[in-house]
Amino acid sequence: MVTVRRRDAAPEPPWVHGVSPAVPPAQISVIEAVFREILRNNTMWQYTLKRLIQGITTVWFIATATFLAMHNVPGDPLSAERGTSEAIRANLAARYGLDKPLAEQYFIYLGNFVKGDFGISFTQQNRQVNDIIREHFPVSATLGVLAVIFAALGGVLWGALTALYRNRLPDTIIMFMVILGISVPSFVFAALGQLTLVNLNALFGISLLPVAGWGTVSHMLLPALVLGMGTMAYLTRLMRSSMLEIIHSDYVRTAKAKGLPAARIFSRHQLRNAILPVITVLGPAIAAITTGGFVVELVFAIPGLGRYFVQAVQQLDYTVIMGTTVFYGAFLVFMVIVVDLLYGWIDPRVRLQ
Amino acid sequence: MTAPFSNSQVLTPADFALITQGADVHGLSRPSQSYWQDAWARLKKNRRAIVSLWLIVGLLAFALLGPLLWQIDPARQDIDQISQAPGAERSASIVAPYEFWGGEALSGFDNGTGLRLGAQANSQAVRLLWEAAPDADGFRLYRNIFPVDGGLAFGLPIAEFPNSLAGFYEDRLDLRPDTYFYSLVTLDAQGALTTEYQTLEVPVHRVITVDEVRTRALVSAAAELAVGNEVFLALHPLGTDYLGRDMLSRLMAGARVSLFIGIVAPFLFVLLGVAYGATAGFLGGRVDQLMMRFADFVVALPFLLFMILFQVVFGIGPGESGIVPMLVALVVLSWPSTARLVRGQILQIRQEAYISASRLLGARSSYLVWRHMIPNTMGVILVTLTFAVPSAIFTEAFLSFIGMGVAPPTASWGSMSNEGLATMLTHPHELIFPALLISITVLAFNLLGDGLRDALDARMRSFE
Amino acid sequence: MNPPLLEVSNLQVEFDTYGGTVKAVRGVDFTVEAGRTLAIVGESGCGKSVTVQALMGLIPMPPGRIMGGSATLRGIEILGRKTVQGREVRGAEIGMIFQDPMSSLNPTMTIGDQIAEPLQVHRGYSHRQALARAIELLELVRIPEAARRAAQYPFEFSGGMLQRAMIAMAISCKPTILIADEPTTALDVTIQAQILDLLKDLQRETGMAIILITHDLGVVARMADDVAVMYAGRIVEAGSVDDVFYRSAHPYTLGLKQAMPTNHRDAVQKLMPIEGSPPDLFAPPVGCGYCPRCPHAMSVCAAQPPAPFSVADAHYSRCWLQHAQAPRTVVGLYTGGHHD
Repeated sequence: MVTVRRRDAAPEPPWVHGVSPAVPPAQISVIEAVFREILRNNTMWQYTLKRLIQGITTVWFIATATFLAMHNVPGDPLSAERGTSEAIRANLAARYGLDKPLAEQYFIYLGNFVKGDFGISFTQQNRQVNDIIREHFPVSATLGVLAVIFAALGGVLWGALTALYRNRLPDTIIMFMVILGISVPSFVFAALGQLTLVNLNALFGISLLPVAGWGTVSHMLLPALVLGMGTMAYLTRLMRSSMLEIIHSDYVRTAKAKGLPAARIFSRHQLRNAILPVITVLGPAIAAITTGGFVVELVFAIPGLGRYFVQAVQQLDYTVIMGTTVFYGAFLVFMVIVVDLLYGWIDPRVRLQ
Repeated sequence: MTAPFSNSQVLTPADFALITQGADVHGLSRPSQSYWQDAWARLKKNRRAIVSLWLIVGLLAFALLGPLLWQIDPARQDIDQISQAPGAERSASIVAPYEFWGGEALSGFDNGTGLRLGAQANSQAVRLLWEAAPDADGFRLYRNIFPVDGGLAFGLPIAEFPNSLAGFYEDRLDLRPDTYFYSLVTLDAQGALTTEYQTLEVPVHRVITVDEVRTRALVSAAAELAVGNEVFLALHPLGTDYLGRDMLSRLMAGARVSLFIGIVAPFLFVLLGVAYGATAGFLGGRVDQLMMRFADFVVALPFLLFMILFQVVFGIGPGESGIVPMLVALVVLSWPSTARLVRGQILQIRQEAYISASRLLGARSSYLVWRHMIPNTMGVILVTLTFAVPSAIFTEAFLSFIGMGVAPPTASWGSMSNEGLATMLTHPHELIFPALLISITVLAFNLLGDGLRDALDARMRSFE
Repeated sequence: MNPPLLEVSNLQVEFDTYGGTVKAVRGVDFTVEAGRTLAIVGESGCGKSVTVQALMGLIPMPPGRIMGGSATLRGIEILGRKTVQGREVRGAEIGMIFQDPMSSLNPTMTIGDQIAEPLQVHRGYSHRQALARAIELLELVRIPEAARRAAQYPFEFSGGMLQRAMIAMAISCKPTILIADEPTTALDVTIQAQILDLLKDLQRETGMAIILITHDLGVVARMADDVAVMYAGRIVEAGSVDDVFYRSAHPYTLGLKQAMPTNHRDAVQKLMPIEGSPPDLFAPPVGCGYCPRCPHAMSVCAAQPPAPFSVADAHYSRCWLQHAQAPRTVVGLYTGGHHD
């Protein structure tokens, strides 16, 4: 939770000069608005730059941790199990730089990362790690983005509903579902979802939705639903408590004392402020959903990067493991930065800190 | 204002006697309770939290005391009862040992036409007979556990006969006490299926030989046994899994693993986090900055990916359960959130007046930390710990489910769910029981955590 | 005779809480006349804020409940109603400002937009018109560079500035009554004086009535025309400011005065705290609420609640000491001139 310290006397921020007083935002997309905000004022610029530098350092840390971890793995990826001869093994080792001292390997590795080259797969001859990521990541990302959207929209909607209908029937029903959503592991949801679908398909005698596989929108719906379920339940709870806190806040009391209609109080005063804590956890939520996708990819036989990662770990495919981990890490760091910027756009207090 | 009150009401002089005000002027306030007493009183009023607390006690008893009461080896296989649902029929009748069958119908089965039984069908063997079909070029025999309906789903092909003569077949393949549907489908000259087929519904009864009864010690050694007697197979209250292992004892063993990881790992990483956060918060300044920067880096690591990586790095040797690597990985990756929380609390407490007062009175740093700071963060720490348990249990289940958790012979609820998933359609109990236990445990800890948070009024919202 | 601007009679409010039902307001009566300032004084928890929140319909229900009584604006009932003669009570007829301006404004909305809102809702102004008017209002409450300030967010304002903005918002629709619930408690002393002066000036300009909730007798002396002293959910003494200050007719008022510092050069009197704490409103006392702390308590005080004894015109006191048969022994207690 982000706490905002009160300031008794705020210094006049430099960026306010020359800003026309609160022109109502026209119908522009959120992303466009965020970029406008970034371009409009210095503080937002500095904030963005600071977050980017932090992000790059974090990715470097992830890369280093991955490198060190992988070089302590017991077992030789070029072991004789595969029947490779001494000479071929030496060749491969030279090609992958395994014969060089650790420090040198580390710099080669970092250098390649900076160039965006994750190397060649150990187990699949002549397959670039970049190609593997390019081929399979979009699948995971599509699934993840769908699940995040589903979880965020659902969480905000159900959370606001439960808070408005506190201790009445809709609240009781939704909160019961939420407790289920939080307590049931994702693979059970996946299995149950699949089972239900099999039965429904059998019942109607037609294929309502495909049970497994990938390719069309209809393939994505059930896995995304299953994947987003836990997070949605969590966000619902968060939204509910945040909303309840705001319903009892002083400024909502002020809004009532101003005689505003309930709908306006809800949209202008409650919702916008209640969403803030939800946005702060969206970063970690995206991380949880994208990596949580492994299970769903396994159960629904979806050719995503997660499934590939698990396979690579089983086969000790050095380069694929390192490449995938660092790529995922960078992706998550990037998503967290995007979420932070979004937060800065919605909550003016953050921009000045 | 309201009508002025007329004060002519008659009262006696005694009414105007002064009351001597005692020292009980201060006795008006309600009885005071310590923070923890108050919290406990509030928790006790929260029925959901108390039920959860009892559930957790029950689960711990299940894991720790259960194996003393139900002493079945969770790794032992009962090959007579594989994937047995709970409460399934356990009776078996004793038959003579298996003898070779040459296709001759036994008495009582010597007449009939079409596809028919040649002897009493039991779990030892199903013996089938059929007549020649002169216009056919061959037969293929199928077995199914569902009736063959209009969809012509014949099931498992078990044998093929390249001629149209009368024939016989003895099925001994993995027979269970169930009803089977055998289909004999006529083939054309190319060996392809024609639309002509015959179906036979065969109820199969479980049988056992005297030797088997003796070797499995199903009856006392002194008991007399004769063909036709009924004996009962070993009891499995919650059924068996796909290898014939007792579900109840596996669930108990799994409970030990899952709860061990679920409780010990959070305990360790919360402890580490408290030490780290308290140090950073107490020292402050550059050290604090540096320490928290490092914590930020660890938080940014993609959690599940690194859990898997660490599992690989620590390695699971032959004969090891994989519990320790998972514990270490969880601790290494999970401490920063607690550290952040505790640091924040300590920084806040450091500003409080009573700390300055204590310092002025000459309190040493260690005294401040142990007497003031840690006790005042206990509530927050306790709530964090309670919420860390379900997430650790989920992590264990998740990793075991994708096969990156505990090594196979070891049972954990996650690995059991993984194994159960394969047989979900035919034997749902193998998935339902472990999944249910995970859900109940997670639910109980979540509700207890909610109750604790409300009782302690620790205003926290953390994602994990 | 015209009905008074605002007349509240026998108002009773309860709250269901974790520990039981709190009888927060137990029968409150007062009137407010146009252009005058009524101060409601009392210590924390005596029910003064709840009283005005009930008038504004701001009591959260549940757990709150209005158990009885009435409040009429120019003779028309407003309890439980939203409009009077087509005008919205909240925001249009009665404006309100609160104790903590820092938390009473929406942190994610600009000050200008927040001031403009009531104008858009009650007066049908366009956003642009309302914003222009909001800037004028900010100038009216003496905020420099009003146009630039209107585009800022609450966190960029100081406490005093925020309270000015709150006032601008509360008076935007020219209300007939302004309720100020401890408007200066959260502010520095120098700022307090500025805010109080501002309120007085605005009252002079607009002729609105002010209900001022406070526990600060200094603020009362500076602002009020009439005073109502509240204790344990009841008004124990009410009258003009001079009556209550110089002819105090209730031991609690005396106690409050003795607990207040004075700046008379010859003041040698020690500050006297009132011993004990207010009664538990979960189970209000049968008799007078002040009885357990009152140095002059009599048997009847514990047994029966005192009725409002009139001590002078428009000055009454709920104290058995005002009864005709009561001993006249309390030093400094005004017992009035006319007993019938």
